[in-house]
Amino acid sequence: MPSLLELQRQFSEGVLRSAGSKFMQHIRPGRFAPARHFQVYRNNVFESLTNALKAVYPVTERLVGDGFFRYAAASYIPLHRPESGNLHDFGEHFAGFLSGFPPARELVYLPDVARLEWAMHESFHAGVGQPLALTTLSSIPAEEYGNLRFRLQPSARLLASSYPILRIWQVNQPDHAGSPDVNLEEGGVKLLVIRRQEVEMRTLSDGDYSLLSAIDAGSTLAQAARAAMDAQADYDLTGALASQIQLGTLAQVENEKKITGNPVL
Amino acid sequence: MADAIMPDRVDSPIPAKAGIGLRAEHYREVTDSLPTVGWLEVHSENYFGDGGAPLEYLERAREHYPISLHGVGLSIGSCDPLNQRHLAKLKSLIQIYEPGLVSDHLSWSSVDGSYLNDLLPLPYTEEALRHFAERVQQAQDYLGREILIENPSSYLQYTHSTIPEWDFLDEVARISGCGILLDINNIHVSATNHGYDAQQYLRAIPANKVREMHLAGFTVNRYPEGEILIDTHNAPVADEVWALYNQAVKRLGNLPTLIEWDTDLPPLPVLLNEARRADEIMEKAHALVA
Repeated sequence: MPSLLELQRQFSEGVLRSAGSKFMQHIRPGRFAPARHFQVYRNNVFESLTNALKAVYPVTERLVGDGFFRYAAASYIPLHRPESGNLHDFGEHFAGFLSGFPPARELVYLPDVARLEWAMHESFHAGVGQPLALTTLSSIPAEEYGNLRFRLQPSARLLASSYPILRIWQVNQPDHAGSPDVNLEEGGVKLLVIRRQEVEMRTLSDGDYSLLSAIDAGSTLAQAARAAMDAQADYDLTGALASQIQLGTLAQVENEKKITGNPVL
Repeated sequence: MADAIMPDRVDSPIPAKAGIGLRAEHYREVTDSLPTVGWLEVHSENYFGDGGAPLEYLERAREHYPISLHGVGLSIGSCDPLNQRHLAKLKSLIQIYEPGLVSDHLSWSSVDGSYLNDLLPLPYTEEALRHFAERVQQAQDYLGREILIENPSSYLQYTHSTIPEWDFLDEVARISGCGILLDINNIHVSATNHGYDAQQYLRAIPANKVREMHLAGFTVNRYPEGEILIDTHNAPVADEVWALYNQAVKRLGNLPTLIEWDTDLPPLPVLLNEARRADEIMEKAHALVA
C-alpha cells in the first residue's frame, strides 16, 4: 500500500507522462478496467489546462488552429506545470516555449503575439496605482527633476517586436471585417499595454519606449531621458512626459520621499 | 482598500434558497438587472487578481446579494504544506466581501509544488482521513471561520481505500468541525460510475453538518464497455438528480442550493429557471412547516 505522498506523486506522473502498471495496481477494477477510469482524469486535466491556455491566447490559437494549438498545449503542460491553484497564473512561459517549439519554427512572429496576449492577461488582472498628477510635479523644484523616480501603472506592460504584432492581433479579432492578411514587411512595433476602462494597446515611438522602459527599470528621470534621446535624437521629453501623465501611464510612488529623494546608495 | 467605507450591502448570511453561480459572461446582466435570486456563488480563485473587472463586478454584486466563496484550488488533500499565498488571498477576499459561506473540496490537486488544477481523488484510508481533517483545521484556524467541504465527482476508486466516502466525509466534519457542502449531482455521478447506491450515500450524511447543496449537469461519455458520467457543469440538472435532490430536501431540510453551470453557459433566464425549480421543491417539501 503506497503512502499518500507516494500515491499522489505516481498519480501526477501518470497524468502528465504515462501511468505504469505499478500505479494501475492501486486502482480498483470496477465497471471498467483501471486504465479507463484513470484516463478520465488525464483527459480532464489536459482539457482544462488547454482551455485555460486558449482563454489567454485566443489570437495565437486562431493563427495556428485548434489542432495545432492542442498539440502545442499538450507538449507545454508537462514541461511547465502550473505552480498555483489559480488557473490565471498558468501559461506564463508559453511564448518562450513556442519560440523553441520546432513545429512552430516557420511562424516567426508567433512567440511575440503570445507575449502580447500574456501582457494583456496580466494587465487585465493588475491592481490600480494612484495616477501621477501634473500638480505633484509642479510642486517639486525644477532642479530636482533629474533625480525623480516614477513607476508605471501596475497594469502597464511594454513590448517591442520585430513583427507587426499589433496589426496581426487586430486582424485576428472575431469582429474584424476585411482582409486578415498582414504584410510582415511592415516591420516591427513598440507597444504599451495598459488598462484604463479596458485593456488597451498604444504604439510607442522609439523614444517613448526607451523612456518608459527605463522608468520601469527604476532609473531616475535624468537617466530615462538620456535613454530616450539615445533612441530618438529629436525626442521631446517635456511633451512626452506631459502626455504620458495625461494618459495615466505613470503612477504615484507611494512614498513621497521616494519621488523626490536622492538615489539610495 | 482596507479603510474604504463599505457601501450599503445586504447582510452576509446565505438564505435557505436557491442561488446561482456568478460567471464573467453574466457580470453585466446580473449587476444591471439584479434578478430575483437568493444569493450568488463565485469561484474564489477568479478573484485572486489585484484589480480589474472581476473585482469591480463582485463588489457591485455583493451590494445586492449574499455571496458564497467556493474554492477549487486550495488542494487540501495534498501532502505539500498548505499554500500560504493561496490562503492569504482567500483570507483577504473574506475580509473584503464578507461571504456567508466559504467552501472547497474533498480532494487534492498538487504534489511537490506543481498543480494539476483538477479535483483529484483521495484514497479513503485512516492516513488520508487524519491528514485531511488536520488540514481542514489548519485552514479554518488561519481563516478564522468554518469552511464547508464538498464531496467530489469521482471516476476511480483505490484498491487500498477502506472507508466509504460518506463515512470519510462525516468523520472529516466530526474531527475538524467543518460543515458539509453536499453536491447532489456528484453523488449521482459517483454512484453511477462506481455502481453504488446514491440513497445509501444520502442516508449516511449527518443532517446537522450540511450547510449547502449543489446541483449541476453532467456529460455522458460512452465506451464499448458502458457509460461514464463526467461532472462537466455544462447542462441543465438531470431528472435523476432532481429526484435525488427532492429526497435530500425532505431529509436535510431547506438549505442554500446552488445551480452550478460553468461552461457553455446558457442565457441568464435559463439559470434563473433552474433556481426557481429548486426553490419550488423546497417550498413544496416544507409547505406544512412554513
